[in-house]
Amino acid sequence: MSLSVQHLSFAYGTRQILEDVTFEVASGAFCALLGPNGSGKSTLVKAIAGVHRARSGSIAVEGRDTAALGRRELARVVGYVPQAGDAPFDLTVREAVMLGRTPHFGFAPRAEDHAAVEDAIQRMGLSEIAERSLSELSGGQQQRALIARALAQNTRVLLLDEPTSALDLRYQIETLQLVRRITREEGISALIAIHDLNHAARYCDQVVVLHGGRLVADGAPQHAYEEATLRTVYEVDVEVTGHDGAVEVRPRIDAAGVTRTGGELADTAEVAAR
Amino acid sequence: MTATAQRPATGEKAAPAPTPARRREARTVAVLVGGVTLSLLALLVSVTVGTAGIGIGDVVRAVKVSIVGGTISADFASTYSVITQLRLPRVLLAFTAGAALSVSGVLMQGLLRNPLVSPFTLGVSPAAAFGAALVITLAGSSQLPAWATIAGAMVMALAVSALVLGIATARRMAVATLLLLGIAMTQIFEALTSALQFTANENTLQAIIRWTFGSVNDAVWSDVHIVGGVALIALPLTLFFAKDLNAIAFAGDDAARSFGVNVGPIRIGLISLAVALAAVVVSFCGIIGFVGLVGPHIARLAIGGDHRHLLPFAALSGGLLLLVADAVGRTVIAPAVVPVGIVVAFIGGPVFVYLILTRRNTLK
Repeated sequence: MSLSVQHLSFAYGTRQILEDVTFEVASGAFCALLGPNGSGKSTLVKAIAGVHRARSGSIAVEGRDTAALGRRELARVVGYVPQAGDAPFDLTVREAVMLGRTPHFGFAPRAEDHAAVEDAIQRMGLSEIAERSLSELSGGQQQRALIARALAQNTRVLLLDEPTSALDLRYQIETLQLVRRITREEGISALIAIHDLNHAARYCDQVVVLHGGRLVADGAPQHAYEEATLRTVYEVDVEVTGHDGAVEVRPRIDAAGVTRTGGELADTAEVAAR
Repeated sequence: MTATAQRPATGEKAAPAPTPARRREARTVAVLVGGVTLSLLALLVSVTVGTAGIGIGDVVRAVKVSIVGGTISADFASTYSVITQLRLPRVLLAFTAGAALSVSGVLMQGLLRNPLVSPFTLGVSPAAAFGAALVITLAGSSQLPAWATIAGAMVMALAVSALVLGIATARRMAVATLLLLGIAMTQIFEALTSALQFTANENTLQAIIRWTFGSVNDAVWSDVHIVGGVALIALPLTLFFAKDLNAIAFAGDDAARSFGVNVGPIRIGLISLAVALAAVVVSFCGIIGFVGLVGPHIARLAIGGDHRHLLPFAALSGGLLLLVADAVGRTVIAPAVVPVGIVVAFIGGPVFVYLILTRRNTLK
């Protein structure tokens, strides 16, 4: 297993965010991390990336316990694409991608660092705009530059924290296709925090679902998506169907547009939908 | 195009040399070399600017004599002492003070991820002013040695910086906390200084106000040694962390951590260094605003945002800015000398407005 998370717990002060989370992602597998807002997705991603150090439990990459690795060593095996934030200072795409080489060089980048940057730029289709400054780019292009930065980092695990949330449909799909292709080609493990259940089902080999900091489902989308589980997690009554070779999740909405539901409401919504 | 790509690649499996990166590197080196040359020339020329008829030849001769030794003819003696005892310390203090403030500004802006902060954002300058004012008031009518006010200013500036950083560390070094603490300190110490001024007599009041005008008027070699020495120690030290500074400034704390950068200690360490630089300059020269804000921006426009190049170039741009401002201050209403702190605001202000209006995207 390329990425293995065992009994991971994490708390901000006294507030428990993650509780006993255990799952594994194989090499070459693309795993979706699902769950409502506040369920601990970002925290889990950051704990694996070494942004936060977990209180208990362990994380291993290709059998090596990450707690035993130094910061730079960890940064050479785990790459992280944060939610797109604003940069106070401008820099070009090429300079931005070079930041991903930070754990690999000393004072100045060497030839192999430049080569890795050019390779990542090419793979993300950014060659044409490599000398443009980030602030001139569209949201989709900026997101691709951030992914290129993580690619240049050349790690065995790639973590993405809701990279698609700010993108339009086309860029969402492009991003997911790209990450899937990279995981297959490089044999790395990718974990993506994402909101869209159907995108996750379509592009990911595995989904894990967090609810209140606990893992409530883990497996291939067609097995992990259970109506009962999703209803509990999202507090929305849903219908899971097969469609085009992938499972599809649709909220059941009644005539009044009510989706938030308890047990009783679920029945009326079901009736109304038929 | 092929010419720039010809540089031999050192890594074995390295792909063909990335031409645009190499070209950019060549440009960066050219800008740095140009900046150093310009600075040296400006230093030479600015020694000649002023009252007595001194030429560049005299300056070169005087520098040569003072470095390699040699005899001074009787007719050159007075020129020699004007150059080495009055002019050189003055221009070198202006240059090194500007360089130190500008480097300090780069550090503060990068570490706080905010292009609008300056070395004085944490309240260093009002604290130093209060320290100096306190010493001047306590001394009353007795004559003070120069080091007493300097020491008063520096102790107060460093104490306040330590206080601000200490509180901010307890609050996890949040950027907003630091900025707000800086505003609070500024208000408190301005009020304290005002209170001293309110109760002071005519002479003391004048001395306090004169101190706050940043100037290099009474520069002596020991000032240059200390300010220049601190700047010379600080610059290589900051360059050592330039890569980490890039990660923090451009990618943010979380991403920087994911690149293996130890964000917390680096931020505290480098902010302490930046504040110490500013405190030293303020103590020796008084309050010279603006250089620490504008110097970094001028450098960023000339050479780009990469801190490996930005830090040394900001030292040059800040040094040059103060050097030019002082030369203007000496000539504009000669023989009277306008304090450099006043001139630099007059020069720097319009330059800054021009930069904001013409290159909006670098400041966003």
